[in-house]
This record gives sequence, C-alpha cells and structure tokens, in this order.
Amino acid sequence: MIQVSNLSFSYTRQPFISGMNFSVSAGEIFGFLGPSGAGKSTLQKILIGMLGTYQGSAVVNGIECKKRTKAFYEEIGVDFEFSTMYEKLTARENLRFFASLYEKKPRPMETLLRMAGLEQDGDKRVAQYSKGMKSRLNFIKALLHDPLLLCLDEPTSGLDPTNSRMMKDMILAEKSRGKTILLTTHNMQDAAELCDRVAFIVGGKICALDSPHNLIMAKGAATVTYTWVEEDGEHSADCPLGRLSSDGRLKGLIAGNRLQSIHSSEPTLNDIFMEITGRTLL
Amino acid sequence: MRAVRLSFLQMLACLGRDRMLAVACAAPVLAGGLFRFGIPFLEAELTEWLSVPAIIAPYYRLIDVFFGMLSPAMFCFASAMVSLEEADERTAAYLFVTPLGRRGYLAARLGVPGAAAFLVTLVLLPAFRLTAFSAAALLLLAAAGALQGVIVALLILTVSSNKLEGMAVAKLSMLPVFGAAVPFFIEEDVQYVLFWLPSYWMGRAAWGDELLSMVPAFALSGVWIWVLLRMYLRKKINGS
Repeated sequence: MIQVSNLSFSYTRQPFISGMNFSVSAGEIFGFLGPSGAGKSTLQKILIGMLGTYQGSAVVNGIECKKRTKAFYEEIGVDFEFSTMYEKLTARENLRFFASLYEKKPRPMETLLRMAGLEQDGDKRVAQYSKGMKSRLNFIKALLHDPLLLCLDEPTSGLDPTNSRMMKDMILAEKSRGKTILLTTHNMQDAAELCDRVAFIVGGKICALDSPHNLIMAKGAATVTYTWVEEDGEHSADCPLGRLSSDGRLKGLIAGNRLQSIHSSEPTLNDIFMEITGRTLL
Repeated sequence: MRAVRLSFLQMLACLGRDRMLAVACAAPVLAGGLFRFGIPFLEAELTEWLSVPAIIAPYYRLIDVFFGMLSPAMFCFASAMVSLEEADERTAAYLFVTPLGRRGYLAARLGVPGAAAFLVTLVLLPAFRLTAFSAAALLLLAAAGALQGVIVALLILTVSSNKLEGMAVAKLSMLPVFGAAVPFFIEEDVQYVLFWLPSYWMGRAAWGDELLSMVPAFALSGVWIWVLLRMYLRKKINGS
C-alpha cells in the first residue's frame, strides 16, 4: 500500500527528514511514534500529498505522492488531530457536503453516525459538540468515501478514557474491514495496543521499526518484583522472569507462605523508545 | 469541476448564513442605485446652489470606474472572509486532501467568485453607469475590475491569518483601488509614481478614453495575482 524509498525533505536548507525507507502492507496498522517536532506530521503530510517538494520516492496506493491527481484522494481518508468541520453546520450537513466531493458512493451516513454514537446528535450544530464528539465525527468523516488508506493524526489526543476507548474500537473495526491505517501518535499505550508495526522517528530519521511485541522482547526482559515482611518492615526484590527458579530467596518465601505480593513487569514501548532514542516523547 | 462547483455552492451557503457578508454582496446594488440617482441629483442641487456649471460631473467617468471595481471587490472580500473562516475552522486544510484539492479550492474561492463578479459587473455597470461606454470598454472594465477583486481577496488572505484580522486588513486592501483617481487629479508626470497599480491604468483608460491603457492594467494584475498567490500558498503549506 505504501512504499517509501530514500525519502528526504527540508523546509529550509537544513534537512528535516532524511533517508527514510519503509513500506506498509495492505490491512496493516502502522504507527509513527516520536516526540513533537520529530518529523511525524511532515511525513504524514508528504504521504497525503500536502508536501510535494521532497526527494526520493513516496508511493501510496501505486501513485507517487508528488504526482497525485484527484483520484489519489478517492482512496485516502484523513483524520487530522483537530476538528475540520464547519462549526455552524450540523453533523449531518457536514457529512453530506464532504461526501458529495467524492466520486465514490458514500458509506451510509446513519450507519457511521450510529457507529460513533452520534445518531441522536446528528442535527446539532458542530459548535455545540464536546471535544470527544468532534473527534468521533472527524473520524467518521474520514470513512465517508470508504477509502483503502486511513491517515490518523493523534486520534485519541485529549480524549477522556471512555471516548478514547470508543475511538480505538472504531479504529480496530476499520482494520477488521481490511483498511490500511497510518497512525501518528506520541501515545505509546495506544500504539502498543493498536499497531501491527511501529516506526520510532527522531530528528527526521527512523531509529527503529518493528512490531511493538518484537521491540519489547528484543530490548528488554520481563522482571518479577516480590515483597515480603521481616521484623524490621517490608522488603522487596526483583528477579528476571527467566531466572525465577534459581532465586533461592523467592523459593524460600513461597515455601514459607511469606510472600506479601508478586507481580511481573514487562518493559513498555515507552521504555524501549527511551532506550533506543535516549529521549522521552514529550 | 463537480467538486469546485459544490465547494462554490458551499461558499454561497456560508455567505447566506452570515448577515454581514450577505449585505456586503448586496452592497453594489445599493451603491449602484445611490451612484446612478443620488449623485446626479446632488450635482444638480450643488451647481444650482453654488451657481457653477459643474462640480462632480467631470468625475462621473471615475465614479463609473470605481463602481466597476466595487462589485468584484465586495464579492471577493466576502469570499476571502469565508476562506478565513475555513482557515479558522481548519476545513480548508481538510478540503486540500479531498478530490477538490488545493487548486480546486483556489478555483472555488478565487476563480469562480472572480468570474461571477465579472458577470455581475457586466449586468450592474450598464444599469447604474453615469457615462456612456462602448461594449469593448464595458467588457474590459468588468474584466479588470474582476481581477482587482481577486487581488483584494488575495491581499486579505495573504496578510491575515484569521477572520478578525481579515476584517481589519480588508480596509487597507481596498487602498490600491484608489489608484484610479490619480490621472483625474494629478496631470503632471508625477502620477507615474503609481504605475505599479493596475487601478492607475484603469483610471488612465477612463480619463483619456484610451483602451490601450488597459493592457498594462491586465499585465500588472497578472503579476500581482501571481506574486500574492505564491505568498498565500507558501503560507498555507507552512501553516497547515
């Protein structure tokens, strides 16, 4: 679906993105992860045809992005981080207008509104919507023309846990319909939960690219932390998961039924990101 | 073309919902009535009261030129305001990644309004003119006026980043229109200082009945539009 080779881009004389290579298969959720200013949004802008002055090659759905035509956008749905709705129009009026711009037959508006839990609010002006409602409406707007590729920019940013869950469920539902999804985020939890593969982007370069599981497993082992009580108070100790059976103290505590608590802790994608890039995501 | 048409219709719907912009679009009709009937009446009253043969009459041609630029300027101003509202609401950024695209968006917000303003001027100018025009002069004046309207819209869009700023900038962006008055009031060569204003050449064409003066007006309008369009697109690319 996406093939990027030797991609470089610059806003000034300094290179902003340099030497990027990756590909995304059809039906995959691919995440761009990185701190602000790393080049994630610029990369997404190139892939959706908003920046055409790049070097190298960026092919989306068989079309070189800088040579895009109107047909290019028939198969791309974009969900920006911010609301892109006419605030004075109702949700239905907005969806009707945006659907009319495409040649393709739109997906049924009512089905999409129901999916986003907005069927009762479809005749409200968007200005009256909460942030969560606007985010969901923005998302279903990107689905109107049933595109093959969805580009989502921080889809859960600023949402409460309920709205965030709804959004993630909608994204997974689209994946199950066979959509290819590009996810730009700096939320590691979302990336780990949603993405088949992620690319860590720092300073305009890809530092690592693999599935979240592989990145975690390749860089760090899970540890087990356990606690017990002695006369002088509570104590805790860590042991790598792979060496549990050789931890004599743990065996003794189990045999004496003296364990207070025990839990395993796998490194998170955030830990891996920091280990690889030496940076946090904020 | 279908997307451009639908986007233009959407813009008209936005104009219809905004009373201030709707009035701005209707202003040329109101102003036309005032120019056509109010000014000759005022001229008659003043000349009789002051006992002079003419006061405003020598400038009727200039008033016609101003009126030729008024309809496009108001219509394109309204279009620019809708664009700025779309920039505020970020709908413009979204429209760029639909089949409408950046070119289609510019056509719907600048090209089609400019063409519509040209047609409206072709209707309004003969109806409200104070002096006689040949068909060729009428066509050229309406076309140059439409280009002037596009320049006004681009000035607003390039300089301002939201609707509020746009309202302030709109007043300044109308200033280049007054270049048309220069040939009527300054006879010396110093008038050429304003040669870079398309409206100056429109004024010269009207003042001396020299249709050839419209050629630099069109050429300069092209340069203005090209430069402003580049600045606007650069701003959109860096800002969106």
